[in-house]
Amino acid sequence: MLFSYNWLQSFFKGKLPEPKKLAELLTLHSFEVEEVKKQDKDWVFDINVTPNRGTDCFSHFGIAREISAFTKLKIKNEKLKIKEDGKTRINDFIDVKVDKGADCPRYTGRVLIRIKVGSSPKYIQERLRSCGVEPINNIVDAANYVMLEIGQPLHAFDLNKISNKKIFVRRAKTGEQINALDDKTYKLNENNLVIADSEKMLAIAGIKGGKDTAIDKNTKDIFIESANFEPSLIRISSQELGLKTDASLRFEHWMDPNMTESAADRLAQLIQEVAGGEIVKNRIDFYPKKILPRKLKLDLEKAESLLGVNLGKKEVINILNSLGLKTKADLTVEIPTWRPDLVQNEDLTEEIGRIYGYKNIESSFPKLALAPAKRNDNISWGDKIKDFLRQAGFTEEYNYSFISRKLGDMAEGGLVELENPFSEEFYYLRPNLLFNLWGNTQYNIKNLNTEQAIKIFELGKVFKKYKGEVIEKKSLSAIMTGKDSFYALKGVIDSLFEKLGISDYYFDEYQATPESTEFNLWDREAMAEIKINGKELGFLGELKLPVLDKNGRDCKIFAFDIDMEALVTECNEEYEYMPISKFPAAIRDIALLVPQDVRVGDILNIINTSENKYIRDVDLFDFYEGPQLPEDRKSLAFHIIFQADDKTLNKQEIDLAMKKITDALEENDDWEVRKSA
Amino acid sequence: MEDLKNIKILAEKEINSARNSEEIKQIFQKYLGKNGEVTRVLRSLKNLDENKKRSIGKLANQIKQELEQKIEIRKKEIGAEIGKNKTNKKIDVSFPGHKLPTGHLHPITKVKREVEDIFERLGFSVVEGPEVESEWYNFDALNIPANHPARDMWDTFWLRQNESKVQNSKSKANTKSQRLLLRTHTSPVQIRYMEKNNPPLRIIAPGRAFRYEATDASHEINFYHVEGLMVDKEISAANLKAIMEKFFEMFFKKSVKIRIRPSFFPFTEPSFEIDIRCLVCGGKGCSVCSQGGWLEIAGAGMVHPQVFKSAGLNPKEWQGFAFGMGLDRLTMMKYKIKDIRLLFKGDLRFLEQF
Repeated sequence: MLFSYNWLQSFFKGKLPEPKKLAELLTLHSFEVEEVKKQDKDWVFDINVTPNRGTDCFSHFGIAREISAFTKLKIKNEKLKIKEDGKTRINDFIDVKVDKGADCPRYTGRVLIRIKVGSSPKYIQERLRSCGVEPINNIVDAANYVMLEIGQPLHAFDLNKISNKKIFVRRAKTGEQINALDDKTYKLNENNLVIADSEKMLAIAGIKGGKDTAIDKNTKDIFIESANFEPSLIRISSQELGLKTDASLRFEHWMDPNMTESAADRLAQLIQEVAGGEIVKNRIDFYPKKILPRKLKLDLEKAESLLGVNLGKKEVINILNSLGLKTKADLTVEIPTWRPDLVQNEDLTEEIGRIYGYKNIESSFPKLALAPAKRNDNISWGDKIKDFLRQAGFTEEYNYSFISRKLGDMAEGGLVELENPFSEEFYYLRPNLLFNLWGNTQYNIKNLNTEQAIKIFELGKVFKKYKGEVIEKKSLSAIMTGKDSFYALKGVIDSLFEKLGISDYYFDEYQATPESTEFNLWDREAMAEIKINGKELGFLGELKLPVLDKNGRDCKIFAFDIDMEALVTECNEEYEYMPISKFPAAIRDIALLVPQDVRVGDILNIINTSENKYIRDVDLFDFYEGPQLPEDRKSLAFHIIFQADDKTLNKQEIDLAMKKITDALEENDDWEVRKSA
Repeated sequence: MEDLKNIKILAEKEINSARNSEEIKQIFQKYLGKNGEVTRVLRSLKNLDENKKRSIGKLANQIKQELEQKIEIRKKEIGAEIGKNKTNKKIDVSFPGHKLPTGHLHPITKVKREVEDIFERLGFSVVEGPEVESEWYNFDALNIPANHPARDMWDTFWLRQNESKVQNSKSKANTKSQRLLLRTHTSPVQIRYMEKNNPPLRIIAPGRAFRYEATDASHEINFYHVEGLMVDKEISAANLKAIMEKFFEMFFKKSVKIRIRPSFFPFTEPSFEIDIRCLVCGGKGCSVCSQGGWLEIAGAGMVHPQVFKSAGLNPKEWQGFAFGMGLDRLTMMKYKIKDIRLLFKGDLRFLEQF
């Protein structure tokens, strides 16, 4: 909010600090001054008044009171003098009926007659401009001027345009409309409070005046409104109508009902000064429930304990008084109605602290029991995983938590939607990390040499809707380009799981389940499910999402997608060493010629079950398919490692084991064990 | 046989007391050389009968091997060289090494870890919370009521859904329906943690948060926050100041001057803004600090009594401070990144620099 330095100065006899210095002091004691700008002979302060202080500090007077507190300069005490016309009575000109005191706690009004509309004096125009308000005419300007001066929003109606001398403050009926001063028509409903006469809308209460009763150059008699409206009512209306004004901003922040009277008088006085005319005797004043100052006893010990500083009673009383708060010797503080933010001891503590100056508080370390920080397993396993993947050549991505509408609509539902999506590009919450990693792949592949594989991963939250509930999960995904990346990624998972102490997992054929929400992201022919104890942990496979390389060639992409929360429960740091056998191991090789569709896992199964007593390990070390073999055949060769814990195996024992293995393998008719030399 | 054993003992003594390569050479000649003592025993074997040949031969060979080994070890010990100088092909040290193709961690991960590490060393546990939050935890419990202008401080993404029930375990008043949203800060973690843990407590809560606002070089719709909370019997603003000074000193690896000024947050009272002396100009004023000499870095304050009540704690019994700061902002300062959007763009040319 903009404030004029010259205007602030006008409240003081003494000289204010230089503009830049004043700005710094305001920042350190009251509110941040975002900018100080020279404008003609004035300096404009852009002050970030905090929302708890809208009641008193959306005004020059409020800011002046703050300045007075930390500079100790005295504010001039000027009594408002008003000269009423003794021959007239306001009741002869206007009557006001307020429907509900809850909507409008106070409604004060004054009437001026025989005024002359013209332009405002130079000082008013200059000060308004400093605050970013364009001068219109002397009546409207005066209303704005008094609002900027003391905070109370005010409105002037052309008295003669009000029908039947009667104003109603009531809720609008659905379907009613108003032509507002901004030349727009607003459709109203029962959430909107309005000022109306018996025939038409005069204003949207607390937000905007209507055109029908606007001041024009022929206006002679005016009614000025100085009212108080319920804050949340104004806020809801303002949001619904999409109409934020200087008045609505202030009312939203709760205005002091006790201010309306002096504001009406001040405006009447100022209008008389700038536009002549007579002030009609008496005021309209609807104020059924008077609000009184409250009492709050300061707990000095607690305040000092919160700030961590010893101030003493005398210093504290001085500070509170400098803010315009009256105190008693027992530290009872009278809270004026213009400080609704002061409701408890902590609020007074803040007042004391900031005026005393936070820079005067010496830093000191807390005295407390020595307690070690608790380890967070989710974070520490996550860190281990990230480190491993980094070492395996993967680069970490941080993507948006959103996906585009287009991408989302490709998916089969279960997406989490927003009431207010940011844009078509950021439309749904991401149901997986793969969509955005795919986007990263498309983006980056253009900048890379074609032989370079992209290896990226992300660890983050994904969101799905399941049976009406929003399910938020941590997920771990990686993408790797290149035609042979399936087994590379499978190997990454093997090594990763080994590092995490997970051993009882396995890769299974993908089985579509009825409730599966995995849509056509994966190539069903080239994917595996990662499982532990029959539980699904994630997927590995080829993505069916298209990626073109720099030369426009289609590029295969493989990925894994792991449920991080399930993974962490399987991670294990406990580790027991296995005694190393004292007896030597023997290695034998076996080569097989088998049909194309035979899986390595099947062969391993047969080898392991045929003679498992002394088999330590079986390794696939050679794989061949191609022109030198019969069609539909592939050749596989394994190392088989034999070892016993209690003896050296002799040749006969090993030969016997190998024979059993060979026999078991050859029970399959079209499998051929190749005898090596 | 006895002779052999004596030869061995003598030889070992001499080997151990050899001081230079010349002496070693002489010892070698004396025992293992062409006419050395062990050699002579071996040579004489052929004159012996089969039985003796085998037993003495075995022992002599064993001693020969042992002595050879010991001489080798001793040679190395005294840096001696015996016999021929081997000529090796010289290594070209300027030839490029074979680098291991490792990947890269995201800069926010690096900074997040550093922040977590510093606070853990100061005794703060690291905790996390959900990114989809209820209105209760994100706003009401933090003393930000509906239809209050303070809500304007957080532009919020709301989830489209049927209202779901969020039950608050400790306070019966809050069983009303709650709308879901994307958390606008990690402050809800404070409430969730205090509901389940009694003070004294020290935590930080790093994580992703969201704001519905126009993006530019310093604003993103998702970003990273770290929230801190310390509660005990007598925690004060002076303690907050000390902890923050220590943190910045450890993070930036130099002494950093901080400044506390008043602010407003509904969940703290008093509330502060924490500035640090501009790291670039040291306070003289430059483009980084918009000529002010200070950088706004964190919001903070003393936990509002209403927040303690929301979490089921008695505000008369406990007091503490809370603070919040942007992890992405710290990241940008640390690596001199000018545009926050780079952090979420996924460009490998950017990420591979970290």
